[in-house]
Amino acid sequence: MSRPAPFEPDLTDLAILNVLQEDLPLVSRPWDALARRLGITEMEILDRMHRLEKAGIIRGISPVLESRHLGLHAATLVALRVPEERVNEIAAIISSYPEVSHNFRRDHSYSLWFTIAAQNGEEVQRILHEILDRTGISDADALDLPTVKKIKIDVRFSFLPAQSGEITHGPD
Amino acid sequence: MDQIDIQLLRELERGLLFVPAPFDEIGKRLGLSGDEVMERIGRLKEAGIIRKFRARIDQRKVGITANALVAWKPAGNCNDDPGKRLAAFPSVTHCYERRPVPGLWEFTHYTVHHGYSKDQVLDEVKAVAEKVHCPDYAVLFSTREFKRVPNVRMRENGGGVS
Repeated sequence: MSRPAPFEPDLTDLAILNVLQEDLPLVSRPWDALARRLGITEMEILDRMHRLEKAGIIRGISPVLESRHLGLHAATLVALRVPEERVNEIAAIISSYPEVSHNFRRDHSYSLWFTIAAQNGEEVQRILHEILDRTGISDADALDLPTVKKIKIDVRFSFLPAQSGEITHGPD
Repeated sequence: MDQIDIQLLRELERGLLFVPAPFDEIGKRLGLSGDEVMERIGRLKEAGIIRKFRARIDQRKVGITANALVAWKPAGNCNDDPGKRLAAFPSVTHCYERRPVPGLWEFTHYTVHHGYSKDQVLDEVKAVAEKVHCPDYAVLFSTREFKRVPNVRMRENGGGVS
């Protein structure tokens, strides 16, 4: 079977991705409101959104929930030093926990980096130690870096090519 | 937050449909009107339970394939509210303060950066480091994503609603 050519978003698609990352207008026809901003029709934006979703670029349009209000009061970032040949096996065990939302391999001697969020600090520790027990990784090969303060979470990309190479400027 | 709000969050988490009136569709599943759905969403936003309503995008499929976690160890000139200064860069998508491991891992602040290439990310991090006067940092590029889901999922771990 031949694979279909990968979908290449055009400038209008990229502009749609940009507006969809902002807070959605709370009106009965939100897509129409966004389409108007872009100077296209509601039918066109819906059509393109379907294509972007089918291509796996849009994963879904949903609310970002505040963990503290939903029972998750403690979190940590854990780094593990894992033998190369065990990375996949150990990563699979870690990812199987619903309390783990992010699990990445990173280019460092501490090769696996993952987050744990739970109701309280004791529960976070319980899960961390269960993971260490199950994987046989020793405490000495783990960094436990509990969240002291969430300062910013604002996942947003600038997709339009004109801005892609630009280094953004912060405060002087 | 009442039981209907919890039901509503569960439905919203499935994602809005790409139909002209998506809130009406959500309402139908809950026996509410579209207006009632929007009213409740508005209240959940005011209460800070919903932070934002947005698209989740797989940025790698649009060419943004480089991703780095940067660990910072502020000292000296950089010590004046480093978290706030790092978070102020629009390209920083996450900024956290974390407890260090003394003598072993002394970084206290973490930022996440994305780009079209590693070089672009490295240039950006260097520019940030110069602006905040913090030369002590480690760039940890991701080489594989094993799991990346929203940190609150009503059906899986948002059950402890107070």
